[in-house]
This record gives sequence, C-alpha cells and structure tokens, in this order.
Amino acid sequence: MDLPLYSALFLAFSLTMYVWLDGFDLGVGILLLVQRHQAIRDHMVDSIWPIWDGNETWLVMTGVTLLAGFPLAYGILMPAFYIPLIAMLLSLGLRGVSFEFRVQREHTRRRWDIVFGVGSLVAAFMQGAILGGLIEGVPVQNNEFSGTAFHGFGLLPVLSATAVVAAYLVLGGGWLFLKSQSILRGYARHVIYVMVPAFAILFTITCALSAIRQPGIRVAWQHHGVGLSVLCALMGVAAFAIVGTARRERHLIPLLSGFALVGIGLGGFAWIVFPDIVPFRLSLWQASSSHLSHVFLLTGVSIVTPIILAYSGYAYWVFRGPTPEKGWGS
Amino acid sequence: MTLDPTVLARIQFAFTVSFHIIFPTTSIGLASYLAIVEGLWLKTKKEIYVQIYRFWLSIFALAFGVGVVTGIVLSFEFGLGFAKFAQIAGPAIGPIIGLEVLTSFFLEAGFLGIMLFGFRRVGPKLHFLATCMVALGTLLSASWILSANSWMQTPDGVVMTNGKLVVVDWFHVVVNPSWLYRWPHMITAAYLTASFLTAGVGAWYLLQRKHIAFGRQTGVLGMLFATVLIAWQVFLGDLLYGRMLQYQPSKMQAAEGFWDEQSSSPAPYYWIIAPDQKQQRNRFALGTPYLGSLWLTHSLRGRVRGLKNTPVDRQPTMAMVFYGFRTMYIMAMVMFGVATASLWLRWKGRLYSSRTFLRILVWMTPAGIIATLGGWYLAETGRQPWVIFGLLKTADAVSPVSAHELLSTLIAFICIYTVFMTAFLVFLLRRIRLGPADAPAAAEASGSLKNAIRPQVRDHAVVHAPRAE
Repeated sequence: MDLPLYSALFLAFSLTMYVWLDGFDLGVGILLLVQRHQAIRDHMVDSIWPIWDGNETWLVMTGVTLLAGFPLAYGILMPAFYIPLIAMLLSLGLRGVSFEFRVQREHTRRRWDIVFGVGSLVAAFMQGAILGGLIEGVPVQNNEFSGTAFHGFGLLPVLSATAVVAAYLVLGGGWLFLKSQSILRGYARHVIYVMVPAFAILFTITCALSAIRQPGIRVAWQHHGVGLSVLCALMGVAAFAIVGTARRERHLIPLLSGFALVGIGLGGFAWIVFPDIVPFRLSLWQASSSHLSHVFLLTGVSIVTPIILAYSGYAYWVFRGPTPEKGWGS
Repeated sequence: MTLDPTVLARIQFAFTVSFHIIFPTTSIGLASYLAIVEGLWLKTKKEIYVQIYRFWLSIFALAFGVGVVTGIVLSFEFGLGFAKFAQIAGPAIGPIIGLEVLTSFFLEAGFLGIMLFGFRRVGPKLHFLATCMVALGTLLSASWILSANSWMQTPDGVVMTNGKLVVVDWFHVVVNPSWLYRWPHMITAAYLTASFLTAGVGAWYLLQRKHIAFGRQTGVLGMLFATVLIAWQVFLGDLLYGRMLQYQPSKMQAAEGFWDEQSSSPAPYYWIIAPDQKQQRNRFALGTPYLGSLWLTHSLRGRVRGLKNTPVDRQPTMAMVFYGFRTMYIMAMVMFGVATASLWLRWKGRLYSSRTFLRILVWMTPAGIIATLGGWYLAETGRQPWVIFGLLKTADAVSPVSAHELLSTLIAFICIYTVFMTAFLVFLLRRIRLGPADAPAAAEASGSLKNAIRPQVRDHAVVHAPRAE
C-alpha cells in the first residue's frame, strides 16, 4: 500500500475541512467590521460561538498531519512562511480570546469586536498570502528553506490573499443566511450578492497571474487542460447556485454551494501540484516520514475520524436552526 | 550587536510555551472539578453545586479560550523556530501529536459548545456527559503531549539511518521510559493547581464575609482535594526523581547544585547558589548542613554526585535547572504544610474561622501554577544542550530564519500575549469580585454561558422544559 499517498489524502481532507468550516466563521468575523449595529454583531458572534473551536481544530490537524507524515515538507514550509504564519497565528489568537472577552463588559465590547474583526481579516489574508507564496514556489536547497523573510511578498500573494478573503466572506454570508432571520438574513443576502462576483473576478485574475508567474501551472494546464476547464466551469455553476438560491428562501443551499465552490478550487490546486507536497519542489514520497509513522497515524485516523465526524455533527445538530435573538441561553 | 538565532529561538519557544502551560494546567484541573461538581449536583440536587458549577464554568471558559489559541501556536512553532528538529523528530512525535488532536482536541471542542451553551438544549444527563467528555479530552491531551515530550527526554523505539529517524517500535516510542512517571505527575500538578485556585477563591469570600455558603463549599472541596493530592504528588515526584537520576544524570546533578564529581561529606542541601558555569564552581552557596546527605542519599554522611561527572559540552546551565527545581520543591513543601494545617484545623473545627489560615489560602491561590512552571523549567532546561536527549542538540535544530525575524516576532508575541494575560486577569478578578450570585446579570446582552444555564437556578423545572426555542 502506498501509505504516504493516504496520509496526503487525509492532509487534503483536513485542509478542506478547515477551509470550509473556519472559512465561514472567519468570514463572519470579518463582517463584524462592517456591521454597525451592536445587537446584530452579538447575534453574528452567537451564531458561531458554540462551534468555532472545533472548526479551528482542523487547522491544527492539518499542521500536525504535515509534521507526522511529511516532516521534511513541514520543516521547509514553516520557516518559508515564517512571518505570514506568525501573523496568522497571533491574529487567530486575538480573535479567539475575543469570543470570551467581548461579553465581559458592555462598554469594551465594541473594541473587542474590532479586535475580532481585524484578527479574522488578517488571519484570512495571511492564509491567502501563503497560498500565493506556494504557487510562486519556495526556494529549497538540501531539504532546507533557502530564501529570505520577504520572498513571499509580491503581487501574486496579495491577489490570492484578497481572493481568499472574498471566498471566506462568501462562506460567511452563506452561514449567516442559514442561521439568521429577518434583518440579518437580508444583510447576509446582500453580502452574498456583492462577494460572489468579487470572488469570481479576483479568482480569475489570480489564476491568470499564477499561470504567468509559475511555469509548473502552465505545464499542468497543458496536461490536464480539459479537466481543469471542467473544474472552472463547475465553479461557475456553484457561484450561480449561491446567488440564485439566496434570492429564494433555500436556507442551506447557498452555504453548501459555497462549500462546493471552495472545495472545487482546492481540488484544482491539489490536482495541479500533485504529487508534490512542497509545490513544484518536493514530491510527497521524497518528503515522507518513516513507514511505521504512517501506519500509526493512519490507524488512528481511520478509527477516530468517523467518531469525530459523528459527534461534531451532533454538536452542530444541537445548535441547529436559526440562532436565537438573545443567544443560546434564551 | 550580534544576535544569536539559537538563543532567540529558545527564548521565543520558552516564552510561548511557559505562557501556554498556565492555561491548560488550570483547565485540566477545572474540567475534572466541574465534572465532579456537576455529578454531585445530579446526585444530591443541592442548589449550591449549581452555583459552584456556574461560577467555575465561566472561569474555565476564559482559561480554556486562552489555552486553545496559545496552543495552536505551538503546533506550528516546532517548525517555525526549530525546523531541523521537526524534520528529524517528526516521524516520532508527529503521529503522537496527531493522535492528540484526533482523540482529544476534537473531543474537547465538540463537547465544549454543549457544555457552555447547551444545557437547555440537551438536558442535565447529556450535559453531564458533555462535561465528562471535555474533562476526558483534557486528560487524553495531557497524556499524549506528555508522551511526546517524554520521548524527547528519554527517546526510545527509533533508529537513525542516513540522518533520518526511523520508527521501529511504536510501543516503545509512546510508552518511553519516563512517560508513565511524568504523566501522572503532570495530571496531579493540574489537579493541585485547580484545588488551590478554588480553595483560595473560597477563602477570599469567607474573609470578605460574602457568599459564605459558596465560599465554604468551594473551600472545603478545594482543600480536600489538595490534601490528598499533595501527598500523592510528593510520592510521584520522588519516583520520578529516581527515574530521571537513572536516565538523565546530568539534569539531576545540575538540579542539586553540586559541581565536584563527589560532594563533600556530609553534603549540605543548597537553597541559594550562584553558579559559575565557566569555572565549574559555585561562587556562593547557602545550604543546610547534613540535609543533602539525608535527603539525597538517605544516610548521614553520603556524598552527592556533581555536574563535573558530565562532559562540559553536554552540561545544562546549572542556574536554570537548580532554580526551576527549587521553585517547585519549595512550593511543594509549602503546599504540604498548608494541607497538614488544614487537617489540624478541621480536627479542631476551626477551618472556616481561622482568619490567618484563610489569608494563607488566598496567598496560595497561584501555588500550583508556580510549582508547575518550576517543574517544567527543571524538565526542559535540564535536558539541554539536547533537544532530543542524546540524539540532537538544540543548536543544530534551529530553523534557517534570521535573528532579526526571530527578534521581531518575539516582540510581537510578548506584546500580544501581554494583552491576553492582562485581559484574562482583569476579567478573572472582576468575575471573582462580582461573586457567584451576581455572575448572570453581568452578561445579559449576549448569549453568554452565564445565561445558558441560568434558568435552572431559578427553577429546576425549567431543566425539563422542551428543547425547542
């Protein structure tokens, strides 16, 4: 059995779960910055409060799977994205403590909401910047990162960062649309109408610039031109589905279509870089951990993941339906 | 000015991990405490337990939140500051931490929401289950991470081939020689931390003559646990001491503050030393005569082995190891003394009336945290100069990141963590000042956790109300 491949598949699964789940709650966090009414902001935070911790755990899972399955890649990528990663981690931290700190005092709540929003925005932006940096390519020598701190700062990372922020806002809009009523639902619909076209434009420009900057992407398009075109078309369908269903009262469909949109995008990226774990530099077999490490990790994964999905699903089920106007206690 | 990346990377890791450990230590202890309190409530239906649960749940949530966000940092920091360590140790510690995430982090996260907000949605029995699951998650988490850290202390089950580490036996990696000694030691430390924390807050209310019933019950539970636990902890610590003497003699040599291969006879027990690592001697040392021989060799005139038994390039820095150990040790003795005094006062029936004792308990509130930090400094600085004992030196493990980057991010960490700590302490003290009865009114506007379980305090029947909103 090709164990490194299975570990890589789980890595991809974990990353996708992260982008889906934390994607929408980061999106909701960013939206706090442009929402002027305190009561609506409270309502928005309440909608993600019971589940954000589980969502963010997928980020830890992704990082640790990379460490366990592909330590060489982990050791190259962490220093390569040193500044954006630390900026992301600190922002996630500020955002995470804001959940608890914002409710402690009435008159400081507004300030914590700004911290919350900025933290969400910077975290999302840095994730997108890292994606851009991966597309540009990481300088590697002797299995070690050999670039400088600012190798990843440029037009492509900035573009991909804004595209990722837009994608998270689409997901955030979809989530609020599902979990809200009346005024907030109208607001969520508005977010979807603005952000879906914005994402489509940013995504297209990012893809075009990626193809210009990275020869590896041009090669991938030559090999799987048809397949990748089909994926782009499917993303278009998903985008239309989000906008179309948000017009009608189909509460769950915009969010699910948003997941499809982002999932197909991630799938396309994985297809382009496969079988590399450090894109265009190091294959997953070259970076692989020892055989028994994969055995141990994958045994744990195959036993525990179904259980996790079951009780996480249950936790979502407990807090199903629209978020109560006065919070979960009312 | 030239900055050494190794030193900066170590300071950064030490700072972030020291900051982090305060919060899980507290929340591991509080999670089990909450499970016990909720269990007692289910059994006795006494209102006071609901009040205790509600009060400590709000503090647990604060500590857990800070613990989560500072913990996420660590899972990336292995590679940020110590990329070479991650590349070499990844095959061994990676899957262990992976299992930690799978079996523990998801469990905590999945049930935390229900624990904080779900009381009226799931009913008391399922809510109790959620509390137990969160407590179980914290214990599992501690067990896996202690396994990974113990593997760095006493690596086993691996071979090095062509500079790559290959796992040959998982059982020996996970159940490495020090894990089964260090894990219960850490769990007990967390329980002690929560015990002294709850006892201290209870004592403060009694001193203030406020919330007497709450203060008494919290204080009683806290002191009861603390008394049993400290005795157990001293026993565990002694076992671990023997184990580490066998596997990491250099650490224990540094911990006792002796340099010469054989100390004088009889050996003193040092309390304060000013070690000079270059000259391999103490510039100053203050100790109690005979006590070193008595404690360390269990004889009147026995000699203790010093750090010169370890080659200079394999020695840890004595000052850090020694003072880490002394901090933990002295705190343990003080805790032991307080526990003994509490038994005496209980026997005399003056546990709640002795204001001096209550004042001491208030001062002891952070005792567990201080002792835990001291213990970790002993464990981690005593492992130096190795990051994986005997396999990889810390200096060879550092990332190819410039000193300026490390310095700037270190400053960023310090600034933001200061915000975390300040806000945490402000809110913690405010919550304590407001008291258990006032807690719910304070957070009316949002769906906070205080709201979530408030109704049952007013009316038990609400518990059985329909779940739908």
